[in-house]
Amino acid sequence: MAQIYVRNLTKRYGNATALNNVSLEIDAGEFLVLLGPSGCGKTTLLRCLAGLETPDEGEIVMGDTVVFSAEKKIMVPPGKRNLGMVFQSYALWPHMTVRDNVKFGLDVLKTPKPVAEERLDAVLGDVGLGQLDQRYPSELSGGQQQRVALARLLATQPPIFLMDEPLSNLDARLRMDMRVELKRFQSNAAATTVYVTHDQTEAMTMSTRVVVMKDGEIQQISPPDQLYRQPQNTFVADFVGMPRINLVAAQADGKSPSAFTNGDIHVDVGWAPGEADIVIGARPEDITVSKTEAPKAQDYEITAVLPNGPETILQLTRGKTTMIARVGHDTDYVEKQMVWAHFDAAALNVYAAQSGQLIDRENGT
Amino acid sequence: MSDTSQTLHKSSSKFQRAVTDPVNIAMLLLLAVLAYLVIWPFVQLVIETLTWGQGDRRISRDAIPGEFTWFHWLQATSGPLSSKMLYGPLMNTLITGIAATILALVAGGVLAWCVVRSDMPGKRWLQPILTLPYIIPSFAIALAWEAVFRSPKVGGQPGVYEAFLGTAPPEWLSYGAFPISVTLAIHYFPFAYLLVAGALATIDSQMEEGALISGAGRLMTLRRITFPVVAPAFVAALILTFGKTIGQFALPFLLGAPTQFHTVATMIYANLTLGLDSLAFVLAIVLITMSLVSIWLSNRFVGNKSRRFETISGKGFRSRVIALGAWRWPVFVAVALFAFTVGILPLILLGVQSVMLIDGFYGLENLTWHFWVGRSNPEIAFGEPGVVHNNIILGATWNTLKLAFISAIIASVIGLVIAYITVRRAHNPLARALDQIAFIPFLFPTIAFGAMYLTLFAEPVGPIPALYGTFSLLVLISVVSRLPYSVKTGVTAITQIGQELEEAAELAGASWLQRFRRIIMPLASSGVLSGMMVSFVGVMRELSLIILLITPSTRVLMTVGFGYAEEGLAQLSNALVLIVAVLTIIGELILMWIGKGKMARLREKQS
Repeated sequence: MAQIYVRNLTKRYGNATALNNVSLEIDAGEFLVLLGPSGCGKTTLLRCLAGLETPDEGEIVMGDTVVFSAEKKIMVPPGKRNLGMVFQSYALWPHMTVRDNVKFGLDVLKTPKPVAEERLDAVLGDVGLGQLDQRYPSELSGGQQQRVALARLLATQPPIFLMDEPLSNLDARLRMDMRVELKRFQSNAAATTVYVTHDQTEAMTMSTRVVVMKDGEIQQISPPDQLYRQPQNTFVADFVGMPRINLVAAQADGKSPSAFTNGDIHVDVGWAPGEADIVIGARPEDITVSKTEAPKAQDYEITAVLPNGPETILQLTRGKTTMIARVGHDTDYVEKQMVWAHFDAAALNVYAAQSGQLIDRENGT
Repeated sequence: MSDTSQTLHKSSSKFQRAVTDPVNIAMLLLLAVLAYLVIWPFVQLVIETLTWGQGDRRISRDAIPGEFTWFHWLQATSGPLSSKMLYGPLMNTLITGIAATILALVAGGVLAWCVVRSDMPGKRWLQPILTLPYIIPSFAIALAWEAVFRSPKVGGQPGVYEAFLGTAPPEWLSYGAFPISVTLAIHYFPFAYLLVAGALATIDSQMEEGALISGAGRLMTLRRITFPVVAPAFVAALILTFGKTIGQFALPFLLGAPTQFHTVATMIYANLTLGLDSLAFVLAIVLITMSLVSIWLSNRFVGNKSRRFETISGKGFRSRVIALGAWRWPVFVAVALFAFTVGILPLILLGVQSVMLIDGFYGLENLTWHFWVGRSNPEIAFGEPGVVHNNIILGATWNTLKLAFISAIIASVIGLVIAYITVRRAHNPLARALDQIAFIPFLFPTIAFGAMYLTLFAEPVGPIPALYGTFSLLVLISVVSRLPYSVKTGVTAITQIGQELEEAAELAGASWLQRFRRIIMPLASSGVLSGMMVSFVGVMRELSLIILLITPSTRVLMTVGFGYAEEGLAQLSNALVLIVAVLTIIGELILMWIGKGKMARLREKQS
C-alpha cells in the first residue's frame, strides 16, 4: 500500500501543454479513476506516474520515495518504481507463452525459481488461465489476453496498479464481467490503483474517487455519487451522465430572487443564487412528468419517445426549449401529446453563466 | 535570476540522463564509427586526388609528395591522356548505360505488364525464372556471352558461334559496346521488371473502368490513365537502373578490355594496376558524382510525382486482369523462350564449358570432368587441379562462406540497432543523421567504394592498423556496403513492434539491453533473418566491391573466378562462377521458403 502525491505537474509536447500544473493526492488502497474525453491528458498523467514520460515541471512522490522531481533532478526509471501496469493493447509479448509473459517480471527481479513457479501457478490459477499457460497470446480470445495482462501485473505483487483503458478492447458483456473481476483483484491486493478510462460507467462503478480532466487540467475530484449529483462546473455536468443533463441558460425574472426564465420556461430554484445570469442543470430524472396539471408545472409537447428497457426517455419541447426527461418503463406516452412537467428544485444545480462554476447553496443569499 | 539558474540546473540534469542512456551511447558511438567508415573515406579520396603522391615523382618533376596540387585533375581533364583516360570511358559508360537501361526497361516493362495485368498462363513459375539473371552474378552472364561469341581474333579458342557457323563472329558482336549493353540489360531487366510490376500492381482497375464508362476507348484509357499513373515509377526505375549499370565492373571488363574498350569503372581498375592511383581516384569521384546525380534525379521524380499519384486506397481495391484471347499462348511461348534464354541458358552454357577439355572444340570425346575432379596435370590448364582438389579454390570457398556469413550477421545486428534508434528516437536530429549516414554507401558505386577503402586503410592511422590485405577489411567493407539494406529491413521490423511491448518490459524493470535481447530481437528475428539471407547472398556474389582489396591470402570465389578468366582459363572460371550462381540460387530459394513459411507464421502471431 502506498500513497501517491502529485504536485504541480506540467508536461509539454512542443507548444502543446498535455498537463497543466496538475496536483493530486491518492490515498493508499484507493481505486482512483482518471476520466475525460480523448486528449484531456489522462493517459499522459498515467504515463508520468509510470515513468514512461518525463514531466517538465513538478514532483511525484510514491510512499516515502520521491520518484520524480524537476527541481531536485530526480527521475526514477519505471522499473524501479515498484508498480505494475495494464496497457490498453495489453502489450503481451507475442513470442512468449502465457507463462513466460507472466514470468518475465519475476525473471528481471531474479526471483528464486521455486518461489517464482509457486507464484506463477497461484496467479495463473487465480485469473483462470491455469490450463492455458503454454499457449501463445495469439491463440487466446480477447478476454483471455486481458487476463494474461492482469496476471502479469499481479505476479510481481506491486503495491501500485496502473491501468490504461484496460477494458476498451472487450465487447460490452465481457466488459461487465471483467469490471467485477478487476475490482476483486484490486481489493484483494489492496493496491493503490490509478485507472484511466473515457467510459463513465466504468468510472462510476469501479472507483472510490473520480478525477475528471479536460485540456490537461483537473476539473473535479469526487466520489462517483457526488460527481453525478454535484458536478462542479458545466463541463463536468455535461460530460457525466447518460442521457445528458439538461443545461438551460436562464435570467432572473425580477419577481423573486429564486425565479428564473429563458423566455419559454420558468423555474424556481428554491433559493437565491445571487446571480442574474445562470445556467440551470437538471438531470433527466429531476423532471417530473404528469398527464394532469400540477402545481408549479408547465405544459410541454412530447416531441420524441425513446423507450430503453427499464426506462423511457422523453423529449419535451416548450417554445424553442427542449428538455430530456426520464420516466419509468411502464408508460403510454406518445408523440405530440401535451404533458405537464416540473423541476425537483432540491436536486437542481445552479451555475454562474459567466464562469460555468457551480454556485454553492450555502453561499447563496 | 533564480529562474535562469533553475533552467540551467534542469538542462544539466537532462544532459546527465541523456549521456547515461545506453541508446544514446550506442547512437553516438555508431555515429562516430560510421562517420569514419563512410564519410571520411570519401574525404580522404578527394584529398588523395589533390595531393602529390610518392609515385608521382616518376611522372612530374614538380611533384613534392604530400603537397597540394591540381595536377591529377588537370591530367585527367585536359592532359594528352584525357581522352583515353576520362572522356572515352565516360562516353562508353554513358552509351552502354543508356542503351542497357532502355533495353532493360522495355523488356522489364513488357514482361511486368504480361505478368501483372494479362491472363498469360504459367505466371507462377515464369516469375522466378525471370528474376534469375539478377540473382546470379553479372559476371556469369558475361562469361556465358563470351562462351558463345568468343573470337580467336582477339585471343583464345573459338566460341559456340564460330564452332557451329564456321565463321568468326564480327568483332562488334564479341566485344565492346553492343555485348556490354545487352548483357547489362539482361542482368538488370529483372530490377526494372520488379519496379514496374510494383507500380502496375497498385493501379486500381476501377480507375480504368471509370474512364471506360465515361466513354474513353481502350487506347485512350491506356494513354490518359494507365501510363500517367505508372510514369513516375517508370522514370524512377529508368534512372535507378542507369545508376546501377554505371558501377558495374566485372562485366564490362570481361567484354570490353580485350579490345581496349573501357568504361569509367574498368578504367579505375586498369589505372590501379598500372600504379596510376591518383588518376584512378579522380575517376572514382567522377563515377560517384554520376551515381549521386542519378539517384538525386530519381528521388526528385518519386518525391514530386508519386505522392500526387498515391493510388493505394485500401478499400475496394481490385485489379482486373486483361484477357489476351487468342494471343494467350503465343505470348506465353515468347515469354517462356525469353526466360529460358536469359535465365537458364547462361547457366547451361557455363556448365557445358566447364566440362570441355579444350574449349571451343565441340564433340563428345572432348568432354571431361577434369576441371571438377581432376588432379594437377601439367598439360592441362598450366597444371591447375580441378575444383575439388584445388587448394586455392577450396580456400576461396571457405573464405567466401566465412565472409558472407560474418558480414551478414554483423550487418543485420548493427542494422537492427540503427533501425531501432531511427524509429524510437525519430525526433532526435542525431538519430536522423545516423539513418542518413547509414544510407550513404548505397550512393557509392561499389568499385569506387573499394577504391576509397584502399586509400583509407593502406597505412595505419592512430590506433587503427593498416587493414589492407586482411580479411577484416573485407568484412568491414562488406558490412558497411550492406548497411543501407539491413537498416531498411530493420526499420520495417521495428515499426511492426508496438512501443507498448517494450514499455511493459521497462515497467517490469528490464534494462535496455535485456529489452533489446528478449523483446526486440526475437520479435524482429523473422524480418532480420530474411534480411540476413539477402546480405549473405549479396556478399557472396560481390566482386567489384572487393576486387581492389583482395590479396592472395584473402581470395574469394568471385575474385578467383575473375582471375582465371583474366588468365584465359575459361573452364575453371566457368566452374567457379557456376558454383557461386548455384549457391546464390540456393540462398534465394531458402529466402523464399523463409518468407512463405516461417515469416508468415510469425507475422500471424504478432498480429
